[in-house]
Amino acid sequence: MASKVIYSTIRRTLTKPHGAVSRRHHLSTAAAATTTATAVDNYNDKSGIVMKGVRISGRPLYLDMQSTTPLDPRVFDAINASSIYDYGNPHSRTHLYGWEAENAVEVARNQVAKLIGASPKEIVFLSGATEANNTAVKGVMHFYKEKKKHVITTQTEHKCVLDSCRHLEQEGFEVTYLPVKTDGLVDVEMLREAIRPDTGLVSVMAVNNEIGVVQPMEEIGRICKEHKIPFHTDAAQAIGKIPVDVEKWNVSLMSMSGHKIYGPKGVGALYVRRRPRIRLEPLMNGGGQERGLRSGTLSTQQVVGFGVACELAMKEMEYDEQWIKRLQERLLNGVREKLDGVVVNGSMENRYVGNLNLSFAYVEGESLLMGLKEVAVSSGSACTSASLEPSYVLRALGVDEDMAHTSIRFGIGRFTTEEEIDKAIELTVKQVEKLREMSPLYEMVKEGIDIKNIQWSQH
Amino acid sequence: MASKCQVRSLCRSLLRAGRQFPDYNIREYTKRRTLDGFRMNKSLTDQSKVNEAYAEGKAQLEVVERVLKVYSAYPPKTKNIMELKLQ
Repeated sequence: MASKVIYSTIRRTLTKPHGAVSRRHHLSTAAAATTTATAVDNYNDKSGIVMKGVRISGRPLYLDMQSTTPLDPRVFDAINASSIYDYGNPHSRTHLYGWEAENAVEVARNQVAKLIGASPKEIVFLSGATEANNTAVKGVMHFYKEKKKHVITTQTEHKCVLDSCRHLEQEGFEVTYLPVKTDGLVDVEMLREAIRPDTGLVSVMAVNNEIGVVQPMEEIGRICKEHKIPFHTDAAQAIGKIPVDVEKWNVSLMSMSGHKIYGPKGVGALYVRRRPRIRLEPLMNGGGQERGLRSGTLSTQQVVGFGVACELAMKEMEYDEQWIKRLQERLLNGVREKLDGVVVNGSMENRYVGNLNLSFAYVEGESLLMGLKEVAVSSGSACTSASLEPSYVLRALGVDEDMAHTSIRFGIGRFTTEEEIDKAIELTVKQVEKLREMSPLYEMVKEGIDIKNIQWSQH
Repeated sequence: MASKCQVRSLCRSLLRAGRQFPDYNIREYTKRRTLDGFRMNKSLTDQSKVNEAYAEGKAQLEVVERVLKVYSAYPPKTKNIMELKLQ
């Protein structure tokens, strides 16, 4: 509590001069931008971009690949080509336009299926991983509601799974939120013990969006198979980045997203196993497209882009991984060389290499993010980045409140360069050192006082 | 059959085209991917394999040339931090 007070005073002293300077400079342009609300005005400034009251000298280097990825030019090319002629409704059965669009969609379905070792018939296209997770979790439980009343998931799931579970709880279902170990991994034995005769679904995400840990999917799959329970996984962060095989993992349902693998936004897929058949109640009712699981006309171009992105990801996975691993090591070593008190959140062994979630001791996270305007990073998931609360994922790991507050998620991807990593190290180190210089806590630590033993007076 | 000369020319064409991307990250990626791609296939001796790789490179060049037109038509409004000489 008291540490928060200190943090907030630091923040106040920090933001004051900064805000005052920038406000004076861009008064004219910023005022115009807010009244007319045209985006163009933000760029008319000769010395950089002014947006949301922040002045940035150029486009920040992008290290937020877990929230979304840029479109690959090869995917862009495929979308372009498809945009011109494939305008028929892929569900029209009476003319060539429909057939051509349908062909394009089926090619994409094959590409997606191939990436995850599934049959194309098991792929359902929808709007994204959030819809896929909602469809899977609610759909299965609603379909089997007569006999099955219990869902098992983890505390570190994505919000859309947790929220779907909460929704189910309101309908009278019971949900077990499994805790995770300090490295972010699920205790498989605990999962086994949580299984009940009326358990209808186990949902564990493959790669965590905030800390990038890879769960023991094969083991969880085996347990679910033993107990004949459908296993759903959110693999939005996993496909195209780590090898995914629905047979090896024994998943019944798997959510995927296009924009996490350099594809277009607004498209995703749900893998629905055919043998043994898993049935679900659709969220969308209507024309009965996608085997009746997701009614509504498919967006042909986005589906085509998603398909090409999957094919590319498969081809480039090894090459990308080598590169990203090198950059991750470079980033971690570079930061550790110059700073002490840097902690990696989540397991380092079972981790997707493109994710580096770091906590910087004795620094307030919000001030750090504010100071790192030239680096596009986030403290956790994009969905919760507006709140000042520390991430619930880090809290589930048992990370101390003060360390959870200072987390930064660096996301490295296909288009990240070595120079960007060096720049990110430079800027991060500079900012952390600056904040620590101001921090009374850091001063006390340097003097050898153990902060944890201090008795703070209550306000 | 792709000759050594043709392969070298293809590599140069890809590099030359890639340099023109207005986006920093895509420009750098095209360069790295091209060089690594040719380096990885350097040891290929089987003529059919060489032809296969050559055809793939050719197709990539076509993609680059196509999308480059669109990318150049919409240059970024501001430069990337990495392209600016900062203090």
